[in-house]
Amino acid sequence: MHELSYAQALLDEVLKLAEENEAKRVTKIRLRIGELLLINPEQLKFCFKAISSGTIAENAEIEIEFIKPEIVCTECGRRFDEVRGLCDCGGIVAVSGGKEFLLMSVEMEVE
Amino acid sequence: MHRIEVDAEYDVLSLNKRLAKENREFLSKHGVVAINVMGAIGSGKTLLIEKTIDALKNEVKIGAILGDVIAKEDYERVAKHGVKAEPLNTGKECHLDAHLVHHVIEKFGDVDLLFIENVGNLICPVDFDLGENYRVVMVSVTEGDDVIAKHPEIFRLADVIIINKVSLADAVEADVDKMVEDARKLNPKAKIIRMDLKKGIGFEEWLEWLRCALRSRGE
Ligand SMILES: Nc1nc2c(ncn2[C@@H]2O[C@H](COP(=O)(O)OP(=O)(O)OP(=O)(O)O)[C@@H](O)[C@H]2O)c(=O)[nH]1
Ligand SMILES: [Mg+2]
Ligand SMILES: [Zn+2]
Ligand SMILES: [Zn+2]
Ligand SMILES: [Zn+2]
Repeated sequence: MHELSYAQALLDEVLKLAEENEAKRVTKIRLRIGELLLINPEQLKFCFKAISSGTIAENAEIEIEFIKPEIVCTECGRRFDEVRGLCDCGGIVAVSGGKEFLLMSVEMEVE
Repeated sequence: MHRIEVDAEYDVLSLNKRLAKENREFLSKHGVVAINVMGAIGSGKTLLIEKTIDALKNEVKIGAILGDVIAKEDYERVAKHGVKAEPLNTGKECHLDAHLVHHVIEKFGDVDLLFIENVGNLICPVDFDLGENYRVVMVSVTEGDDVIAKHPEIFRLADVIIINKVSLADAVEADVDKMVEDARKLNPKAKIIRMDLKKGIGFEEWLEWLRCALRSRGE
């Protein structure tokens, strides 16, 4: 379950930010994740819950906004919703973006 | 007690990206061509590495990093062929990452060609750049002829796609042409090879691609 790797990197950064701000509790974590990154959001949340237990980030709510990739034919400019390499016109389809994993903000309780 | 929202804009993948960059810089500095050998479990990744070593070891200096949940078996198979090899246990992880590779890469500064066998898995390793120069993705007909269409990301990002065990295609009723077509539609730039390592099919084509990759090193 590779979501564990992501959850660990995420937790490390969240706890670092919480500490810098002298937070008592982390309440919400906002993420932007590319649709092409092979992450199952439920698995990610599950892993995060497991590894954050006992830390001030336990029970933090995870909010995910997905980022769509750009899938465009380099010949005719046609756009696609699904990943592919060739357009019906024979042109090469370029895929860009959709691989991001960004921690946008962390909501926390402070004194 | 009150709530604040702290902006972060932090790239969660940044650690892996940084270590992959360091690996890539190390390889380039030492003129090593590194190949991330990915693919389905049991598709023939280790056998491909073993046969390639036997075919090329008088031409180029080869090294191998064998990653697996338990890497000992593959490591022992490859080490027998007289090249420098290192096992990398991923433990509970289902993929190699740049950090694991970073731990052993310095041992391979003196080779020309470095194979890095990833964990047999068509999903988990995809988004973990190791710092390699090329990605080879191997599947075999016994995984079913829809295996490529079902895992677009790994094939889209491959430099070479190998469809192995083609002489078993009839027995398992797999349509190799469909597999090649699925691969081509996802990734028209990739080199696609129909192979059977036991029968020697496609192996020369693979060696030709490899020699070409070795020649273009540093360019
Ligand atoms: N019939 C046939 N068997 C093959 C071929 N290539 C590999 N095999 C066999 O398939 C089995 C798996 O080969 P490996 O080289 O261990 O495959 P792998 O991808 O490294 O496997 P994992 O590391 O466990 O994911 C072995 O028994 C090989 O001998 C082939 O072209 N034809
Ligand atoms: Mg193997
Ligand atoms: Zn996984
Ligand atoms: Zn087009
Ligand atoms: Zn380390």
